[in-house]
Formats: sequence, C-alpha cells, structure tokens
Amino acid sequence: MTAQETRLDPISLEVMWNRLIAVVNEQATALMRTSFTTIVRESGDLSAGVFDLRGNMIAQAVTGTPGHINAMATCIHHFLAVYPADTLRPGDVLITNDPQKTSGHLHDFTVITPIFQGQRIAGFFGNTCHVLDIGGRGLGTDANSVFEEGLFVPITKLYDAGVANTELMKLIAANVRTPEPVLGDIHAQVAGNDVGGRRLLDFMAEFGLESLEPLADEIIERSERAMRAAIARLPDGVFEHVVYSDGYEEPVRLQARIVKRGDEMWVDWAGSSPESARGINVVLNYTHAYTTYALKCALAPEVPNNEGSFRPVHVDAPPGCILNAQHPAPVGARHIIGHFLPGAIFGALAAALPDRVMAEGAANIWINQVSGRNDDNGIWTYVWFSAGGTGARPNKDGISATAFPSGISGVPAEVIESLSPIVMHRREYRADSGGAGTFRGGLGQVMEISVRGDRPFSLSPLFDRTRFAAQGYAGGGAGALGSIETSAGETLDRKGVRHFPAGTRVTLRLPGGGGFGPAVQRDPAAVLDDVRNELVTREAARRDYGVIIDDRARKVDAEGTEAERRGRRDA
Amino acid sequence: MSVEAPGVRIGIDIGGTFTDLLVFDPIAGQFHIGKTLTTADDPSRAVVEGLTETLDAAGLAPDVARGIVHGTTLVTNAIIERKGALTALLTTRGFRDAVEIGKEHRYDLYDIFLEMPRPLVPRRLRLEVDERILADGSVLQPVDRQQVLDIAKRLVAEGIEAVAVALIHAYRNADHEREIEALLAQHAPGLTVSISSSVVAEIREYERTSTTVANVYVRPVVAKYLAQLSEALGEMGFDGSLFIMQSSGGVCTVDTASRYPIRLIESGPAAGALAAAEYGRLTSLSNLLSFDMGGTTAKACIIDDGEPLTTSDFEVGRVYRFKKGSGLPIKATVIEMIEIGAGGGSIARIDTLGLLKVGPDSAGAAPGPACYGGGGEAPTVTDADLVLGYLDPGYFLGGRMRLDVEPAREAIRRDVAEPLGISVLDAAWGIHQVVNENMANAARIHAIERGKDPRAYPVFAFGGAGPVHAFRVAKILQSPRLIVPLGAGVTSTVGFLTAPLAFDFVRSHYGRLDDLDWNHITGLFNAMEQEGREILRSAGVGEREIRMQRSADLRYVGQGHEVSVQIPAGELGEHTVAATHAAFEDVYVRLYERVAPGNQVEALSWRVVATGPRPALPLERLAAAADLHGDAAQAIKGERAIYLPEGGAMATVPVYDRYALGPYATFEGPAVVEERESTLIVGRDARVSVDALLSVVIDTGSSAEDKETSR
Repeated sequence: MTAQETRLDPISLEVMWNRLIAVVNEQATALMRTSFTTIVRESGDLSAGVFDLRGNMIAQAVTGTPGHINAMATCIHHFLAVYPADTLRPGDVLITNDPQKTSGHLHDFTVITPIFQGQRIAGFFGNTCHVLDIGGRGLGTDANSVFEEGLFVPITKLYDAGVANTELMKLIAANVRTPEPVLGDIHAQVAGNDVGGRRLLDFMAEFGLESLEPLADEIIERSERAMRAAIARLPDGVFEHVVYSDGYEEPVRLQARIVKRGDEMWVDWAGSSPESARGINVVLNYTHAYTTYALKCALAPEVPNNEGSFRPVHVDAPPGCILNAQHPAPVGARHIIGHFLPGAIFGALAAALPDRVMAEGAANIWINQVSGRNDDNGIWTYVWFSAGGTGARPNKDGISATAFPSGISGVPAEVIESLSPIVMHRREYRADSGGAGTFRGGLGQVMEISVRGDRPFSLSPLFDRTRFAAQGYAGGGAGALGSIETSAGETLDRKGVRHFPAGTRVTLRLPGGGGFGPAVQRDPAAVLDDVRNELVTREAARRDYGVIIDDRARKVDAEGTEAERRGRRDA
Repeated sequence: MSVEAPGVRIGIDIGGTFTDLLVFDPIAGQFHIGKTLTTADDPSRAVVEGLTETLDAAGLAPDVARGIVHGTTLVTNAIIERKGALTALLTTRGFRDAVEIGKEHRYDLYDIFLEMPRPLVPRRLRLEVDERILADGSVLQPVDRQQVLDIAKRLVAEGIEAVAVALIHAYRNADHEREIEALLAQHAPGLTVSISSSVVAEIREYERTSTTVANVYVRPVVAKYLAQLSEALGEMGFDGSLFIMQSSGGVCTVDTASRYPIRLIESGPAAGALAAAEYGRLTSLSNLLSFDMGGTTAKACIIDDGEPLTTSDFEVGRVYRFKKGSGLPIKATVIEMIEIGAGGGSIARIDTLGLLKVGPDSAGAAPGPACYGGGGEAPTVTDADLVLGYLDPGYFLGGRMRLDVEPAREAIRRDVAEPLGISVLDAAWGIHQVVNENMANAARIHAIERGKDPRAYPVFAFGGAGPVHAFRVAKILQSPRLIVPLGAGVTSTVGFLTAPLAFDFVRSHYGRLDDLDWNHITGLFNAMEQEGREILRSAGVGEREIRMQRSADLRYVGQGHEVSVQIPAGELGEHTVAATHAAFEDVYVRLYERVAPGNQVEALSWRVVATGPRPALPLERLAAAADLHGDAAQAIKGERAIYLPEGGAMATVPVYDRYALGPYATFEGPAVVEERESTLIVGRDARVSVDALLSVVIDTGSSAEDKETSR
C-alpha cells in the first residue's frame, strides 16, 4: 500500500505515531533502568529506535545522543547485508561494534533484534550503548590504529534462535577490564529491545495493523516533505565556514561547504584536515550524524527525526580526511571532533539564518576516564561526562554547563563517588567564562577531583577548546578557554593518558560558550543580576559590558554606565 | 471508619481562588456543599467561614464532626507563582550550583531555544560550608561550626526566613546536616530549616537538593496555615481528627504535613483524580480523562482501570512548552497528572511578539478578576467568560457573589482588544479559545506520552471553571463524551472522603539478599507497623480493619534502579531469601522480559504502607435533592444570551436549573446548566442526558466511527 492509498486520517496517524514513539521510549527506559553503568542509566549515552522491514528508521526514543541516533539510523542495512531478513529466526539477536558501520568507535555496541509477528518479521528494534570498557588501551586518544583500541566484534549473532552465544560472551569477558558491567549492559540492550518488541506487537494488535510499512511510509513521507519544505525556505546558495579544534599534535581544521539548491542540501567537508595519527578520527557515518543533526536543529527542529528527514540531505567527506577515516585508523575519541561539526554548520548558516542558530559553545563533552589499582591489585576504572557552556541564542543567554550538541547527561557527584574512589571537591559555575554579548554565552564549570587512598592513578581526559575559544556571533564575545591543572602546578597541554601520584588534585575548567550580539547592548539589569549572583565579576561587567556596578554590587550606576557605553559606541 | 457510631465527615479543599467543602452526615445520609473565596492572607479564615455557614445550613454542630480530611494547592501555587518564603540554601563547599547545574542535559534534543527551570534560591543565597562526608558515610572533614554561626548571622541580617541544608552524601550519613540544623536552631531560632536527609534521603544531589529547597520554601506558609486552621477549628468546637491529604492519595497528620509540605504538593488535584476514579467505579467507566479547572490551574489525569497512575518523579512549574525536564524536580510519590497555569484567574495579555497569551500568572482571589470588583485590573479568563455570557453576573456562587461585567469589558478592551484592533467580544472569545487550546494540548501530551489515545477517553470535568470550558476542551480533544458530576464545583472534596487513611513508612538498610540480618529486617518492619497501627488507632480505625503491606526495593548488584517487591508478613529469616529472590525475578521479567546474567540481588529500602478501610461514600445520595424532573423542559429556569462561535455572535439559549434535572432527563445544546458552584456551557450539536448519579452526560458530537475504522 502506498502513502496515497492509506486510510490513515491525520489524527489516527498522530496517535499511532506518538504511540510508536512511546514504544521506543519504553524500550530506552527499560534499557536505562536495567543498565549496570552510569554511562547508560545516568548519562543516557545511548540511542534506541524501531525500524521497518526495509531497514528504515521510523521512530527513535526521546532519550539519546545524535552521534548514536543518526549513526544507528543507517546501520541496519549493514546487519541485513550479513544476515538477510529471510534468514533470521525468532529469538535471534545481532551485535557489533564495528566503528565504520555503526557509531564510530569500539566502545559502542549496537544490538539489533528482529521482532516476529507470528512467522513474519514485523520490524527491528535497535539500540546503541557506550560500554564501560572494551579492552585495548582504554578509552582515549593515544592509539595508533583501531587494533590498539580494544576488542572488535564484527556483525555477529549474540543469540541464535533464543540460544545465547556463550563463546562470544566468554571472549568479551576475557578482553575487557570490567566484564560484569559490560556483559550486564549487553543484557540490558537485549532486554530493552525485547520490551520494545512486546509493546510493538501489543500496539499493532490494538490498532489492527498487519504490518508497519503503511504507517512507516506515511511517517517517512510526511517527515521528508516537511524537511524539504524547511530547506526550500532557505535561499539557494553556497554557505561555508571553518572551525578549529586543538587536535592531538596540531590543530584540526574543519571546513563545511553547504550547497543548497531547491529542497535539497549537499554538505561537503573537503578541505578539512587529513586523518590524524591518533584516535581522534571520525568515520563518515558519525560525520553524517552530526551534520544532519545540526541542519535539523537550525532548519526544522519540529520535524521528527527518521529516515525521511535524512533523505534531502547529502553528506560527504573525502576518504582519508579526518571526517571520513578509513579502517584501521584509530577512532577512540572521535566524539571530540564530531562535536565541533554543528559549530561549523551553524557558522555557515548564520549568514542566511541569523535568528535560527546559536553561537559557538564548548563543543565536545569532556569524557573523563580515571583508573587505578584496587587494594587487591585489580583494576578499577570509571568514566563520566561533563559539559561546558552552550553558545548564546539570538534572543536568550546560552545554557551553562549543559551539553551541546551531545544529548548526554552528567553524573551526580554522589553517584561517581559511590562507584569509584574518586572524590569531587568542587563542581561549580566558572565566573566570567560565558562570552559577553547582548545575550551572554553559557558558563563552563570547574571540577576539582582527587582519588582516595595511597595509590597513583591515571587520567585519560578527552578535552578540547584549550586553544580555540568558542566564538560569539553578531558581535558577541568569545567564551573562556578550557584547561586542566594539577595541584603540582602543572597545566596539561595535550591529550593523552597521564599518571599522577597519590594525593594529586586535578582541576578541570570547562570552556564557556560565545555571546550573541554586542555586549554593550546587554540590559544593565541583566548584567547586575549576573554580578550579584557572581556569574560575572564587577571588573568584567565594566570591561566587557561597559556596565558600572556600585561597590556592594547592589545597583547599576546608570550615569556612569551610559557614559562608559557612549564612549565605546563613539570609539 | 470505625465500628462505633459513624460521625460526620468533612472534606475541605483549598484552591488558589476558592475553598470548597463537603460535609457528609452518614446518619441522615446527606451531603452538604460549601464554597467560598480563598483568603490568601490566612486561608483558615475561609475554611471557618465556609464551614460555619455550611454546618449552620445543615443544622449540624461542629462537635459532631468526627474527621476532617483536608487538601490544598497552596504548595503548588506558592512554587509556580514564586510566592514562598525568602529562602537560602546551605551546601557542602564546592556544590552550591548542584541545584542549578542539574543534569547538564537538554531535555529537547533539537530545540536550541529551550529554557531551563530557575531554582527557587538564587545563586547569591546559596552558601557553602566547609565539611565533607564520603560515599561510605565516613567523615573527611568535620563541620566548620564557626562558619555556620557566621552564616546564621548573615541569614538573619538579610531577612531570610527559610533555609534548606543539603550536604553531599547526607542520605548516607545525616550527622552533619543535623549538626547544622541544631546550630541554626540555637543561633537563629526564627529560621525554618529543612535538611535533605529528613525530606528525601535518596542519592543524587540535584533532585534531593531541589526537593529539600522546595519543601522549606513553602514550609513557613503551610505550617502557619495549618496551625491557624487547627486552632480555628478547635475554637469552632471541632475535636475530631484533622488529616491532610498527600499527593500519593493517602492522608497524614498535621504534624507530618507541617514538616514535609512537599508531600502535599499535588494533594488537592490528587483528591480530584480520586473522586473521578470513584465516579468511574460507580458508573463502570473505568477509563476516564479527569479534567479539573479551578481558579489558578488546570489539571488532567488519566484514569485507567479505575485507578489514577502514580509516579515518584514529579516536576513542578514547567517553564517551556509543558516539556518534561523544564520543571523543578521533586522526589515524592504523586498521582501522575499534568498541571498548567490555566484557571479562571489566569491573566490575558499581549506578549512582545504581539500574540495573545493567557496565564500562567493568576489574579487569584485577591485582587481577583476585574469583574470581582476587588481591585483587580488585569483581564482574566473569568472576565472573558462573563463577557461571553457563560457566567451569570447575578448567579455566581449561587448569587452570593456579585460580578460586574463593565470592569471585565474595560480590562479586556484595554489590554487585549485595542492592542489587537479587534472587538471586545472577539477578544473575549480569543481568551477563551487560547486557554482551551492550552489545556487541551497539555491533556493530549499527558495522554500521548503514556501511549493513550485521548479520543478514547471520556472527559470527566469538574472544578469551578471546568464545566464552563470542558465542552470546548472535549471537542478539541475529540473526546466522545463529557461527564459533569453534580456539585462539579467541589468534586475534589469527594476524593478526600473516599481516600483511605494511609501512612507510608520507609527504612533504608542496604544488603545483599543472601547476606542480610533478617532479624534486623523483621525488627524494622515491626517498628514501622507498630507506628502505623498507633496512628490509625488514634484516628479511630478498628484493629481488624488495619491492613499492612510490606515491600522492598531490590535490584541486581551493580544496577542503579530498583523494582518494588512485596515481602510477606510475619517473621523473616533464611527461608525468606529464595522466595524473595523468586518474587524479584517475577517482577523483573514482567517489567523487562528477561532476567539479568548476574545472580546477586541487593536490597536498599524496606517499606510499609499501613491503611485503614476505604470509606464508603454513598454518592447516589447526592441525588437526594428535591424537585427532580425527568423532563428537562421542566428544569428550564430562564434563558440568556451566550456567545456561540459557529455564528460568531451572541445567541439566546435556555438556562437549566441543575438542581431540577432528574435522572434520564435529556435535551440538546446549545444550553447553559447552572448550579451554585459552577456553570456548564453546552455548545451546538450536542445531546445531553442525566444519569442515575445525576451526572450530566454530553455526547460531544465527535464521531466515534472515524476511530473505529482506524483501529
């Protein structure tokens, strides 16, 4: 049945569509609630979705992060190439962590479960989760090839007609530092798909659906049409922008070139840096994920994210470019570069859509992996994520200490400390780190940590923006740079695992977002509020905003401010 | 409630605008309804006035009342409208921003314009103390007592009224919080202090701190009010038990409510949902969408199989498009519903983009809508309803309150019609429409987020403003049917009188299932059950009517979320392990389809719910009024002009007297049905009938056939 023939009235469609989203949300919730790691259950570093028989993603859970969601959207075709749908049986479950075919590094396992309605496949449930450990060097930037980054599981059956592949599980258990949570989370991934599958069959029975395809066609076709309409509203043209990341040994250039014609877009990343010798390379699947994500945010945030919304957008990068890394390039910390891509896209679109983009923000989430030895000489390792500030919006301040473009969450200090010997001594906003502007950039945060006990520990900090600050838009100022310092007075100047003696305190200062619009146009009352709340210092209020606040930080010196600002406007 | 002679029972609901009363006299088998304006400066005054009036009218003396169950939206409104105490927060050094940094997460992945909720305490009033407890409960650094004393001085000097203390790992070791609480009590005795380990002893500093702050933010308001209420009721001669409705659907003592008002956050609305469920049970409509619109807010709640849904993760005051994640997190068991700032008192205005906005700010009871003549100048939903003819200026609250249409017109003209360049009537309809759309959208989101089709749920409408708006809201939702109970203006109070006395107890004791000291666990259960039994007995519940339900929060070792598993009564021991493990896996598989590979199960908390019997409330007796007519024409008491959007003009329609409409009366819309506490507006193309409980049932004209074919 084609979309035109379907008898779905708009309201039935809306209800069924939302029900499908409720189904995948339940899938994600089950996955998070049964998880054995804070990466999944607190941070939500996962994606979950449902696919039709042809492999089209129809709906995704609200929870999740673009690098997983959009990468997962395309992965199912790879699974079906290895295990065609007609060879699958009830109880089969497929798995892989192939970076090129899924979300770009070995730490992400993708699990796909065909759901059978009788003897026929109704659809597929898939999810991608970041596992606590995958062996190798551990999560980091230091590897010279993917082979050093851990265990590589090609597309394989995890369950065969309901029978667990215990040989594979033994192999995984023997190769990772923390087998229990790793296998526990794979279990959670399987259970999440099961829950989704059960709810899907209930839903299909309730609405009398014999197959998902008519609904899928309708959803995809409407999404595609809406996305095309949104693109068509933009004037035809070529939009370009370049941003820089610290890189590993040297800065990485990321160059976006967007060609917009009619109701389609072509994004080419040619001109970006070549592959790095270290693990910051990005596979094309992941480049595609963050490119389409940024375009959707700017052009059509309300359009549902599915196969249809991807169709009018074409993403490319030359093979061997850092954004189209080829096997066996190391890719462990691909998110660092990947999270810079929306900044390049927004920068390119800013000329055409100045009121639909946010200024540059902290970009990548900082992934902090701390490891050490237990008293019984075993290894402990703990990973958590944290966010700097987002860029300011055309009509609102940036959001402080909140991830963008990543969709993950932080982890409560109490949870971190309950599950590891890490002690967090401080986690607070970083004053003056938000770029000045009519709308201020989001503030970064400061985290100060140590490790209990008298053993040394190591830190693999996946950080950036220590050299290239988040730029403001429309005359807004830049956000503060990030840095990592130790109690020994050392400042970390590059990525890579570092070892510290017992008792060392490490202070992470996460970057702030850029401002939007000229700072001298910011409402002095807003500046006063920031000063009273110690988000902006009195000195910075004067220096950056031209606002003079009295000694007790109680009120604005209106005349002094006007004189100060007039002087700047005239200058 | 007890085997002794049944006493008079009273339900009292204090809303942001109105105070509703229901007096049930089991001997005479009669209900008496009261409704009066909430007195915001001292809400107990309205209770006493309303109660005195209602009891007098019923010919009852206050001392015949055995029990009063009371609920209030004061807590929610104080938070949404930011009208709580001037509050400070004390945290562990380095963590004053935990309450604002939150989860570092955008609740909407694609909308870059989203907004985050603003904490109740601004950063400058979030103060840090040098002290530190570690995750295992050990002390890394003792409390700097001198610092606390300095802070106490500063708080007093700044005029702070309430202080939340939320220290890192206090859920594990409460010593430091208690030490600070004691220091503050000694050196700044005027401050109201809540500590996180008492309010919600759960891990995760953001949610715990947010809940503790919200608790203490409203505590002075609630404690003062409950003290005044107890005293005033005592002075009236009431010497029965006063219980307070909790958000979970159970009731608690005044003392508990005064210390932990956050547990009341949704208590009025919870009672409304319970009442809807009760009607559903009586009329075999086990699935309903309960829609409750009062003076300040509107609430929608899905009732499935006769029970409202509950949740322990609640958010109050969502700031961005009703989106989940845009409110302040509250850890408390609540009946799950959606609530938005849309009520009769909601203020209409033109925003900076030139668009008509209604709410969430409310004129409340004072100054009130412009038409109240109480000094309110802003146009409100009630003003619009009056201009549209939906309210009778001479019959508001049965004529006990006079409404003036001219100030209403003037307010709408000045603030809405002129800026938009439209007529006052069109502006009033615009206000009516915008608030209806807001409410229908919220209800739709609530239903759809739970995978429910809003079109399949009959709308059960009540609250003072509910019946005025329900017909249009049901139309927007395409609901097949609208049901409006008798006494719709005070329906929540029915819920108070049908809620069983229920007390929740929890004790934390961590251990692996196969390595627990079961004697200790038995002791914990016995102590909780003893406590519950004493409270229930003191409330007049007979020993044999008391029910105890034990449960435990269990999970696989290494997980972060628990499932609730029932634990048998009696002595526990080694024999409990296998049975509990099996019960855990049963629940786990039901929720998650398969067991986890690890086999170790751990327990975190142990719970007891002590309940009395569900009180019987013979609702059919509500129908015991005089002069009922099965012939609707006999119930017409007049006619008046109301605005009908289909014609774009005022049209004259019949006005039915609610109290004269007997069972099986039928008529067609458009029409007005008036009772003292609320007015029902029925539009065109609607068939109206009255059922055996005297509820008005309206077929909205939304065709059910479209849905049947799609299913």
